Amino acid sequence: MKRALVLVMLALLVVSGLALAQEKTQIVFWHAMSGTREALIQRMVDNFNLTHPGIEVSVEYKGSYRDTLNAAQAAAVAGNAPNVLHSFEVGTQQNLDMGIFALAQDVIDQYGVVIPWQDYLEPALNYYKIGGKQASFPWNSSNSILYYNKTMLDKIGETMPLKPTFEDILRIGHELMDAGLAEAGITWPMHGWFYEQWMAELGVDLLNNDNGRSGYATEINLLDPASIKIMTWLKQLYDEGVWVNPGREDWAQARQNFTTQRVAMMISSTSDVNLTENAAFDGGWEVGTAYMPVPKDYERHGVVIGGGSLWLTKGHSDAEMKAAAEFVVYMSQVSQDITWHQSTGYFALRKTSLQALDLEGWYQLHPNYKTASDQLAESQVITATQGGLSGVFPEIRTFVEDAMEEVYGGAKVVDALTKAKGLIDQALADYKQLMGG
Amino acid sequence: MESKFPNRLYPLLILIPTLLICGMFLYYPLAQSFSWSLLRSAFMGLRTLYVGTQNYVRLFTSSAYLHSLWVSILFAAGVVLLGLSISLGIALVANRKIRGARIYRTALIWPYALSPAVAGTIWLFLFNPTAGVVNFILERTIGISPDWVTSRNLAILLVVTAAVWKNLGYNIVFFLAGLQNVPGQVVEAARIDGAGAWRCFWRITLPLLSPTAFFLLIMNMIYAFFGVFGLIDVLTKGGPANATNILIYNLYRDAFMHNKWGMAATQSVILFVMVVAFTLLQFRTTGRKVHYGG
Repeated sequence: MKRALVLVMLALLVVSGLALAQEKTQIVFWHAMSGTREALIQRMVDNFNLTHPGIEVSVEYKGSYRDTLNAAQAAAVAGNAPNVLHSFEVGTQQNLDMGIFALAQDVIDQYGVVIPWQDYLEPALNYYKIGGKQASFPWNSSNSILYYNKTMLDKIGETMPLKPTFEDILRIGHELMDAGLAEAGITWPMHGWFYEQWMAELGVDLLNNDNGRSGYATEINLLDPASIKIMTWLKQLYDEGVWVNPGREDWAQARQNFTTQRVAMMISSTSDVNLTENAAFDGGWEVGTAYMPVPKDYERHGVVIGGGSLWLTKGHSDAEMKAAAEFVVYMSQVSQDITWHQSTGYFALRKTSLQALDLEGWYQLHPNYKTASDQLAESQVITATQGGLSGVFPEIRTFVEDAMEEVYGGAKVVDALTKAKGLIDQALADYKQLMGG
Repeated sequence: MESKFPNRLYPLLILIPTLLICGMFLYYPLAQSFSWSLLRSAFMGLRTLYVGTQNYVRLFTSSAYLHSLWVSILFAAGVVLLGLSISLGIALVANRKIRGARIYRTALIWPYALSPAVAGTIWLFLFNPTAGVVNFILERTIGISPDWVTSRNLAILLVVTAAVWKNLGYNIVFFLAGLQNVPGQVVEAARIDGAGAWRCFWRITLPLLSPTAFFLLIMNMIYAFFGVFGLIDVLTKGGPANATNILIYNLYRDAFMHNKWGMAATQSVILFVMVVAFTLLQFRTTGRKVHYGG
């Protein structure tokens, strides 16, 4: 009898627990950050759930950016897309055309959620601003910077300028190799992203129609003199053995080359600052950072913001939409913003965060975290640095990377670029036609 | 011997589960591939445009696709020829009655048990130009450090070797089974008649093995065309400059990296037709010479 009573009580408890849980608004969040960042995101989400008793966010790591976007598309086709999706910057045009997302600004307005846009860094907002309207919420923003092994450079009596030139990199690379200090001068992943960064630095739009922002792009500017200049330099570095190829889009191998001191310099995302500093500390050497190198005699225009933003999918209940908006706003609140920046090296997005970090003396202790912020802050606001918009970015990168490999393999720069341009322009035209543009 | 079913519906009833599963996972997707191949699409089919035979025309006039086709044929030839001859050699040795034969045989089958991703990663660790074991040894001993993954010819060599190695276990199992079915008396009789080991192999073992070899020929070809995607993805991603971009990888690139499902479906139809044609051709030619005994 007693046992039966206990069972009934237990059952009641479970049922009431379920009822309580069901009162919460359930939100699903998919992201593309692995390793320590995955754990960090989990902690941030747990904090959100604790402080927002009416909302339960469940978070899931879905693989690479491409995998995450593919998974979301498949889910959308099946009618159960996640409420919040983490997507990379070059997916922006696709996300707009896909029709499964609600524009950030629209949701904010409709549900009266407060977000202090004016406190956000302008370049971070700009990339995701379409026709003057905020389409998604900037979150993990980065750009590319130069890392170098300061200890190694000291040995040959060189100091890296804060704003190095292509010529500096070649010279220092050769000196280090001649001195037998490194197997090669520099490395970075064989990735189209860097090419895009250099185009922006030289002030050239990657795509026509104002970098795809005043209409669907129909042409890529691969045959611009700036583009040829970049590719020719890449070829020279490879031919002279100054640059070592870690493989296609292989970030891990590039990092390994640098952190094991086989190579003295590396160009990579600012989000590698934390990782690189730790590795250098363990290895007993010092890492320095500088701006992206550009050719001598060329004006610096700045870099394109890279990384990802958070998108809200539409077609959910009002309660879910509002909860999702609150969650997204929370993820870039000042305190989260600072944690995120300090643990990864991605930018602090808020002006208030920057001031707080400065007051705290963070940048004095960690000057490498500052390089990227300064480089971004000095970027001119032009369409070239705002970044290209296109629905076929994956193809653009594939074909640009193919061209690089062809050039390293001995093809003429202009030939390889002409071929890539032909393929990309075709893809751009196909996409435009498909979207009815 | 003739057995009869109690009624006409009974056999159908037994076939239903098989037909259902085949229909759902094979025939329906196949039919869908055909219809998709006439579309241009984006976002996993959220947006489509009917383009007729444009995808086919584009592929067959694209030098990149024809290059990929050529690479695939070279690749398949390499994988099939090397794979079959090496595994037959190993199977012959492993078939001897020596101490610990079972252990050797088990060890030989191991590579097949690995997933392509794991196998690819192992090879990448071995042949990584800067951090790999192979280059470490080469550099210490003869002072060279070849760039395995970024040089055209070496990359092809690496991928073919890895693909052959990965499938060795599968081939060896079948060859071993085939060899164990070669009747000992026939070989013994030939030996007594004065035939050497080489002659015995060519005249007796090989003909008796021909059903196994023929089966493996087809399976290896299918493997070379469809099964090596994982290895390529991990090792070279189709590069350098498309040197290892075989048809199946090109298809993957279009479907899952470029999101062009229509184009990818077209390629899968082409691949399908090619493999059917090859298989029919083999049944017509090599298949006729196969000796099934009995």
